[in-house]
Amino acid sequence: MEFSKRSLVIFGLGWLTSIALVGLIAGYYYIEYQNLLAKLEEYKGQVMRVNICINYEGWNGTIVWHNGTLVLAGCDLLSATKRVAVVNYTYWQSMQASFVDAINNIWNNGTHYWMWYRWTNNGWDYGPVGADRYILSPNETVMWRYEKPQY
Amino acid sequence: MTGKLALKTGGFNEMNCKHTALLAVMTALCVGIQLTPRPPNVETTSLISFLVGFLFGAGFGALVGALTMFINGFFSSWGFAGIIMPFQMAGMALIGFTGGFYRKILGGNPNNVASPTKVLRLEVSFLAAFLTLIYDVITNVGWALPSGVPIIVALIQGAWFTAIHIASNVAFFGSAFFILVRIVSKLLGEGLWSSQKEAS
Repeated sequence: MEFSKRSLVIFGLGWLTSIALVGLIAGYYYIEYQNLLAKLEEYKGQVMRVNICINYEGWNGTIVWHNGTLVLAGCDLLSATKRVAVVNYTYWQSMQASFVDAINNIWNNGTHYWMWYRWTNNGWDYGPVGADRYILSPNETVMWRYEKPQY
Repeated sequence: MTGKLALKTGGFNEMNCKHTALLAVMTALCVGIQLTPRPPNVETTSLISFLVGFLFGAGFGALVGALTMFINGFFSSWGFAGIIMPFQMAGMALIGFTGGFYRKILGGNPNNVASPTKVLRLEVSFLAAFLTLIYDVITNVGWALPSGVPIIVALIQGAWFTAIHIASNVAFFGSAFFILVRIVSKLLGEGLWSSQKEAS
C-alpha cells in the first residue's frame, strides 16, 4: 500500500500524539508514585509492614504470602488479615476475643479450623490469644493455617 | 430574488439559503450538544466544527468552534468557564479552521469522500487525535498560566482526561465524519465538492 505525502504527515502527527499521550500518562503515574512515597515518609512511625502467610494446607495445599503488608502501627492481627483477605469471624463475649470462622470463603468445619502462628527464633509458635487481641510488631511474620488442630 | 440569498462574508464563499440554514442548524446542534450534560471530555463540538470547516470553509469552521465555546463558557453544566474561555475558543477555532484546510489539501477528488478509503478514515482519525491534543494543550496552558501551576504539571495532571478526549474524538471522527459529509452534501443537493469552490 502506498501512502501520499499528506497521509504520511498526518500519520506522523498521530504518532507524535500517541508518544506525547504515553509520556503524559507515564508522568501522571510517576507523580502519583512520588506523592505516595512522600505520604509514606510523612506517616513513617505511624505505619509498619508485616508479613502474612495464608496456608490452605487442609484444603488444597496452597500457600499465599502477603509480604510487606502495610498496616497502622499497633494494628492487631485480625485487622491486618482483613487487609489481605476476606475474613468472617465471630466475637465471643465470654472469651472477649474474636474467632475466625472463614478466610477467603474457606470455612471452619467439624475437622478443620483456621489457626494462627507467629514466627519466632524457634520456628512457628502457636498463637496465644485471639487474633483481634494480638498486637503485631513491625516486620513480624504470622501465618494462618487451615488445619486439624493439635488439641 | 431567485431563491439565492447571496451573502458576501469577506473571504467566504457566496452562500445560498440552503447553505445558510444548514450552517445555522449545525451551529445550533453544536451548541446544543455542547451544553448537554455528558461525560467529561466526551464532546462532538470538535467533529461538528471540523465538519463545518470542511464543508463551508476554514473561516466558518473557526467561527462555529469559537462561538460554540463562547456560549459554552456561560451556560455549560460544568459552570462558568472564566479565564479559560478564550483558550477554549482558540482551540476549537483551530479545529474548525483545520477542517477547511484539510479539505483544501485533499484536493479535488470526489470519489475519496463519496466512498472514503480506510486510509482517509485513518487520516481523519489521526488528525482528530493531534488536534484534540493541541486543544487540550491550549486549554491546559490557559488554566496553568493564571494559576501559577507549571504547564507540564497541568498537562500531566489532566493526562487521563486528555486520553479520554483523544479516544472519543478518534472514534467520532473515524466513524462519523465522512458519513456526515455525505449526508450534509445530499441535503445541500450538491456534488460533494461544489459547495466550496476554493477546494477544487
